[in-house]
Amino acid sequence: MIRRDVAIVGIGQTAYGKALPGTAWDLAIEAILAALADAGLEPRDVDGMCRFAPPFEPVSEPQLVRALGIPELRFFAESPLGGEALGAVLAHAAAAVKAGLARTVVVYRALSQSKGGRFGRADTRGPGGAGAADPGAHVLVPEEDNRSFAWPYGLMSPGQLFALWARRYAIVHGLTDEDLTKALGSIAITQRRYANNNPNAMMRDRKMDWDDYRGARMISEPLRLFDLCLENDGACAYVVTSAELARALRDDPVYVLSATQTLSPYREPMGIYVTGELLELFPPATAERLFAEAGVGRGDIDVAEFYDATSYMPLRSLESYGFVPDGLAWRYVTETGTGPGSPLPVNTHGGHLSEAYLHGMNAVLEAVRQLRGTAVNQVANAEIALVGAPAGSATILAR
Amino acid sequence: MAVVPGMTELTAPYWEAAQEKRLVVQECQSCGQVWHPPLPRCPHCHAADLGWRQVRGDGTVYTYTIVRHPTHYAFADAIPYILAVVELAEGPRLVTAITGVPPEAVRAGQPVHVAFREVADGVTLPYFEPATRRDTEDVG
Repeated sequence: MIRRDVAIVGIGQTAYGKALPGTAWDLAIEAILAALADAGLEPRDVDGMCRFAPPFEPVSEPQLVRALGIPELRFFAESPLGGEALGAVLAHAAAAVKAGLARTVVVYRALSQSKGGRFGRADTRGPGGAGAADPGAHVLVPEEDNRSFAWPYGLMSPGQLFALWARRYAIVHGLTDEDLTKALGSIAITQRRYANNNPNAMMRDRKMDWDDYRGARMISEPLRLFDLCLENDGACAYVVTSAELARALRDDPVYVLSATQTLSPYREPMGIYVTGELLELFPPATAERLFAEAGVGRGDIDVAEFYDATSYMPLRSLESYGFVPDGLAWRYVTETGTGPGSPLPVNTHGGHLSEAYLHGMNAVLEAVRQLRGTAVNQVANAEIALVGAPAGSATILAR
Repeated sequence: MAVVPGMTELTAPYWEAAQEKRLVVQECQSCGQVWHPPLPRCPHCHAADLGWRQVRGDGTVYTYTIVRHPTHYAFADAIPYILAVVELAEGPRLVTAITGVPPEAVRAGQPVHVAFREVADGVTLPYFEPATRRDTEDVG
């Protein structure tokens, strides 16, 4: 168990934007230096690094050790599966600190979609996309993780996959198209309002009402443009150390109560071949473990930051993490809502839909700000926060 | 121009069968379980002696999406198209596309039947279209 033995002692980020100057390497350096400065530490203090595995994280440990002049890393680890690494990178950092394998671990995520390819494109304009030199020639999809069974039909982007999930939710729970639109739109609009108050948010100046939401083009039904996350450049980093060292460095460390990662057959973050019910990609057992190890209950959570590559994910996460009974979140988000003053404010920075897309790292940073009491959309007296990805990779943090 | 599947030793028999207008799923020769996509071992009994079972090609729409915005230039002219997960009568689910029906008419649970289409020289993909009476009679 991690419970309060490990803390996040520094956070740092770059600006977020559609096309920022500098490479992902530049952005990673900037975010890491900011996180270390926030912690009152120097690059020479760093002896551990955890990151998202390639291709999700383009900046390598050797690049950073060289550029930052870190004398020696004695622990470094990479976590696969994109957004599902959200809890894993922190779990690895916390485990290393608890085991004494490292003392000060930097966790980072840098992204340059303007230079490295847009996640929403599956051709040569996207990272890892498939294309042909001659645009009239056939495109051969290399067989990798069953991609060759999906791409030839045109199932090539996360947004299309998550549309299949969202439709399944409506099928299982008997929602009409209008029910689903209201639910997804409530989430997108609520997050946009949070972002409008967040100076770091890419959509801070872009208001969105129901006409804007409904009027936006359909991308992959039932998902419209504003149900999908942003594509952007930016970087985030945070510093993990022992609770003891954290208290020596600052008077408001944010403690890690628990951090989970999970993997079961076909229950993969981009899974579609689940042999049971597709909605159970989000495993309830992992959520139980997350809360049990943290020693807190659902009612103790003051604010939640849910991974939101699409608006469907926070909807289902309310259920899978046990805040709302299965099949009722679509009513909950339209009737009770997740905005300021609601029982459980969600994605208070604007999330991936309206702040920026950084594989959940910006959600961790927002949770830390909430627990320090420095968030722009501050939840009054927030003491415990949950950050969670759809398939159960998550953390519970406390001040 | 088409997007065509790359094949490995493991996956080639699936596509070779499709080229002969046969839909197959992997089958354990030891315990008889079937699954899709292919695996190097039976996930139930861990036998390595695996074969391919031809299935009827009947299934139902498990979930679907109507794609209205292309993410690859190869599909720019195909918009809108219906992506679906089809659950076969034998159990396994496939990612596929539904043809022969206007996008607005596709429904969850709809009975569908395999329809092979050659998308490039020597490359045939199993699509699905709404099942007709004849499909059922063929099976009977």
